[in-house]
Amino acid sequence: MGPMYVQTLSLRHFRTYARLELELPPAPVLLLGENAQGKTSLLEAIAYLAMGRSPLTTTERHLINWSAVEGGAPFAVVSADVAYRERRERIEIALQQTPTAGGERLGKRIRINGHPVRRADLAGHLNVVLFLPEDVRLVGGPPADRRRHLDDLLSQVSAEYVRALSRYRTALSRRNALLKHLRDEGGDTAQLLPLETALAEAGLFISLQRRACLHHLTRLADEYHRRITGGAWLRLHYRPSFDPLRPTEEAARQPPLFEALEDPPPREALLAAYRQRFEAMRTQEVTRGVTLIGPHRDEIRFIAEAVDLGTFGSRGQQRSAVLALHIAELAWLREMTGEAPLLLLDEVLAELDVARRHRLLDLIGSVEQTILATTDAEMFPAAFRRQALRLRVEGGIITPL
Amino acid sequence: MESIALPASVTELMEALSELPGIGPKTASRLAFYLLRGHAELALKLADALHDLVEKTRFCSVCYNVTEEDPCPICSDEGRDHKTLCVVEEPLDLLAIERTGQYNGLYHVLHGALAPLDGIFAEDLRIKELEARVRAGGIEEIILATNPTSEGDYTASYLLTRLKPLGVRITRLGRGLPIGGDLEYADAMTLTRALEGRREMEG
Repeated sequence: MGPMYVQTLSLRHFRTYARLELELPPAPVLLLGENAQGKTSLLEAIAYLAMGRSPLTTTERHLINWSAVEGGAPFAVVSADVAYRERRERIEIALQQTPTAGGERLGKRIRINGHPVRRADLAGHLNVVLFLPEDVRLVGGPPADRRRHLDDLLSQVSAEYVRALSRYRTALSRRNALLKHLRDEGGDTAQLLPLETALAEAGLFISLQRRACLHHLTRLADEYHRRITGGAWLRLHYRPSFDPLRPTEEAARQPPLFEALEDPPPREALLAAYRQRFEAMRTQEVTRGVTLIGPHRDEIRFIAEAVDLGTFGSRGQQRSAVLALHIAELAWLREMTGEAPLLLLDEVLAELDVARRHRLLDLIGSVEQTILATTDAEMFPAAFRRQALRLRVEGGIITPL
Repeated sequence: MESIALPASVTELMEALSELPGIGPKTASRLAFYLLRGHAELALKLADALHDLVEKTRFCSVCYNVTEEDPCPICSDEGRDHKTLCVVEEPLDLLAIERTGQYNGLYHVLHGALAPLDGIFAEDLRIKELEARVRAGGIEEIILATNPTSEGDYTASYLLTRLKPLGVRITRLGRGLPIGGDLEYADAMTLTRALEGRREMEG
């Protein structure tokens, strides 16, 4: 049993909440209430502290409760005391909108035990696995959603991954702006070179991490998927848009070589392959004004019994695959950090049949703290309800039952 | 409609002020009325200073620092080391290095850093002029002293690709921990760079 759990959660002006101070036990917590009362926002707040980013929106302004802000500069604060095996710490994220010459700026301050840190430094602290009903759309939705989901998972354990992503994004937006400029106005193409080096270095790190993570996840997810479905195999198939391990176009169409992980070619050779590919693509990329290869174009497919579930899977099949993925994430986080993550479940039981519901309840027994949001407490066995802390959520106010 | 009540000389000043970076319409009107309300002396002093700025100062035709005489006093100082060139983004960076009293070479001011997202590309900086200076000969070392920001690093890397073939020694300003700082509170990036840039201790 893992000892990590959230002891207190406090929210100011976050989503539906004006102000919340909540103490939580190292046990299952049931959040009961109608829709749109603040159940999901509470789970989101905890995930926000774990990932440094909301899993539900990329527009952070939306996290601020504008109607609760009374005069002054609008702000929101989420903070929690987290207990670990042998220590406790306080994690806090504050958003504050301040006026500037050119309009308004949303400032974000992250602190651990009162010390200001960067987003990357949140890695290795609070870890969560979040189950959302809409996650079923991950399977067949746009590839960017699957990349973001995987990035959020890796970001929880690896500060270096967060830094690589941020370096990659900066270099990518610069290179795209430069490509457009070269297309429209011309100029020295050598300006591309430092950006391509940055993209190759960060991109190589990102794709090797994604590859390694998916390699583990696919093994774990396959195991759970077989149990859930009565034997059907599942594979999370990584299709990097450029694979420096297989730099030619023809080879890139083959599945990636997981064996190659054990003994990867030297980094210099991989970086050189990246740079050569950029060089070969140059004319095409200048014409299009956009970077065509790299982790921002990676694809991840869910394959079960040789069928691509994103294209051909039924909703039921997609649901099983996502459930297996989430359970695999839990096991992966435990393997990586040595501690069980928190489980945050939003209305997940409603969609499952009895056998799967029991498997999920078993899982809850294997972690220190699970927070479940539901409109219907009857869904849970009486014994489970008795051992859980039950809280009513209504209009951003929480009362114990 | 309100502006009809204000004389054109006031609105013109307000509009001109609000074109300055960091000054919005509100600050512009506050500044304009401050000058208007009994600070005539300051207003005239400002007017003279602005006039001199435009009339008397220009960029040095060698290093592109701001100067009243061309070439600037640094470029024409025979006592300085004319074989070493320190490349900076802005004239204020040059001043900062001068204040150390530890550098005796010449400078080259780029007037910015590469920032494609802000529409600043190689042709917008004094890079062609830098290249020409190096090609003209006599320079043995170039110190790239662009800021330790990602734009500054990008600019330095690009300059390296352009200047390397010219066969001069190229160095980058060292970076590390602030004096009087505490290791415990240094961020990971600064510490990483400080580790990379560690030096043999001589005792």
